Amino acid sequence: MSQAAFSSPTPAPGSRAIATNALRRAGLMDQDTKMRDMSDKPGGRKGSTLKVSKPRHPTHRPRGLETILGKSTPVLAQTIVTRPNDPRLKKRRNAGMSAPVTEKVIETWKEWVRRRWNPEAKFLNLERIASDDYLKKHGLTSPTSDAAGREAQVIFKIASKLRPEIETISLAHNGLTSGRMMSSIAHYLSGLKNLSLEGNSFRGWKELDYISGKRGRLEQLRELILVGNPIRELEYQNNRAAGYKSEVARRFPSLEILDGEAVTRVGFDAPATSTSSPSRASSMLSTFAWNMEPSFIAGVDGSLVVNFLMRFFPFFDNQRGALLDAYAPNATFSFSCNTSIPPRARIEGIHYSKDYPHQRKLEWGIWLSTSQGGSRNLGRMNEIAKVAESLHLGNQEAVKAMAALPQTKHDVAGSPEKFSVDAFPVRQGEQTNLLVTLHGQFVELPSQGIRSFDRSFVLAVSPEGSRAKQSGWDVIVLSDQLVIRGYSSFDAWKPGPMRVQYGDLLPSSGLQEALAPLPQPQRGRMQDVILRTRLNLQFAEDCLKNNDWDVERAIANFERVKASLPADAYLPQDAFQS
Amino acid sequence: MSTLTPNDIEIATRAADHFTRLYYTTYDSATRLDDLPNFYRPNSALTWNGKPFEGVDGVRELVSGIPATKHEVQSFDCHPIPGSQPPSLLVTVSGIVTHGKGPAANPANAPRSAVDGHPRVFSQTFMLAPDPNAPPTKSGEVAKYYITADALRFVG
Repeated sequence: MSQAAFSSPTPAPGSRAIATNALRRAGLMDQDTKMRDMSDKPGGRKGSTLKVSKPRHPTHRPRGLETILGKSTPVLAQTIVTRPNDPRLKKRRNAGMSAPVTEKVIETWKEWVRRRWNPEAKFLNLERIASDDYLKKHGLTSPTSDAAGREAQVIFKIASKLRPEIETISLAHNGLTSGRMMSSIAHYLSGLKNLSLEGNSFRGWKELDYISGKRGRLEQLRELILVGNPIRELEYQNNRAAGYKSEVARRFPSLEILDGEAVTRVGFDAPATSTSSPSRASSMLSTFAWNMEPSFIAGVDGSLVVNFLMRFFPFFDNQRGALLDAYAPNATFSFSCNTSIPPRARIEGIHYSKDYPHQRKLEWGIWLSTSQGGSRNLGRMNEIAKVAESLHLGNQEAVKAMAALPQTKHDVAGSPEKFSVDAFPVRQGEQTNLLVTLHGQFVELPSQGIRSFDRSFVLAVSPEGSRAKQSGWDVIVLSDQLVIRGYSSFDAWKPGPMRVQYGDLLPSSGLQEALAPLPQPQRGRMQDVILRTRLNLQFAEDCLKNNDWDVERAIANFERVKASLPADAYLPQDAFQS
Repeated sequence: MSTLTPNDIEIATRAADHFTRLYYTTYDSATRLDDLPNFYRPNSALTWNGKPFEGVDGVRELVSGIPATKHEVQSFDCHPIPGSQPPSLLVTVSGIVTHGKGPAANPANAPRSAVDGHPRVFSQTFMLAPDPNAPPTKSGEVAKYYITADALRFVG
């Protein structure tokens, strides 16, 4: 694309003000620890270590860059501390620190970005940067060169201020071998829709992980071009095009077009973030309008579900192989571990409580890597092979995988309060199946520690004469997903109203009954106002009516007039539980 | 009965990844009352901590009665369910959710041992199915999926 197309763009509105501000405060970078992390240790990769020890040409890195990116512990400063005797580094520290140079450098980069910006197309053309005459003329280091430091970050930062918002970037034909220079794109341009990396020299998936990894994923990327990179071309030459497409698509779940071809995927009626106008946002309650309810089984004979579970778990605990007939021949099974520590259980100190003497003996290792594919937490898996390995297809495979899991004891018969089950019918094509979600706990052996679990079954009625029916299973498992978590008390599903903040009043059952006839959202708003003001129903309703049923306005109104309210405007203490 | 192909599994995995991000971003947004129901249809069945709701209107009613949320997905899993083509998906999500303003908004006299305000562990299971009445709108889409069933509980 020709440079002329970008010759005299209008400066982005507000950019001057930002620059001035920035200079006054010596930094326009957000004081964002995540970003600092990213620049200091990009993805925790070896890149930064390599950079420190690599001889470079310090004069190529004007001090001004540190200024635009803020004073957030520059990489260089740390480098200097660790290698105080390197003369090159000393020289760099002294290079171009005066204010005029700083200002000039920032303005020069801004002008360059403006030249490369096409506002009509919302397109930033960053192709063939190294051969850019403007950069050469002004002595700026190309962000794609080995000598570059935070130039790329500066460019993306400036780009994030462009209006209209950037949708497309091309980094084509820059000879890139590492994805490192892209590591700040997701931070500054999280809404980027289209990216061309055509004609670079990317070889490994780890280069793409700079824009698809945990620290900075382009979550809204719609189109990506990798044509002309070894990472793509070698796969095509070796007839692995399908595998290549899967690997890319796995990394960018929102991707619609790859290398000009539509990506096969499932669509959702997701709200486009830009079309939902914030003016339609309604204020949210400070309290729950709904209670925690006991187990819910509907649309099916409750005993069908209960009998299944009462039969299933003794087999699961003692004789997993015998579950073969409980699973359909084409059933699916997998398990996954949520190894995060549950926040409330941690505060309660369950892990170290003497009431739970075995918790400290629990280890995730025996779950995470079983002989049969291991835990399937898709949030932590990028490799297609592992994704497939850990999903067990067919009753034989399912039972084999379950047999490889640690021994368990589920006390479903003795302590029903430790379990919660919700079950209801779901239509699936022509068929009606049953969705059963079960939450509870088990003792893990041999440690005897307690773990929590969630288990989701899709069940179908066993066909007459089927092996399942003959073996006494009235329902048969089509799908089974098991989640194992750190232990949380079964108090979590104790029925009744739930608190949001500490000290919140809770409604008595009498108060909830009095409110029950009201429709939503009025009922929730009434309860919210009553719990926050203690007003009785009549006063609460008047207060809301006078404020268009807006809770926050009603509360503000109450605060203004409360001194003049009569004592009988309030509910008695027994209307609440504290 | 039809069998699953590696392609089914791969598409399902990606769909779950995309879905969980979209769903919880929408749930946690200020415009959730308008936006969250888009994922459902009039025949969707759901339970929220054991309380049943039905369809798009039910979802709207449900979220109108819940404080502001912030979800953090800690693990998720997804199976294509054999039996129909394209297959329905079973998605389970495990994570934590903060309601209201979190522990920082607890009153100053709140003891350190108070759990109120701190995130709860949640478990949510979805059945996603292709919508026969909503043809794909973009090339490459095998179908538009919607939530046919949704069961959520606070479990910690």
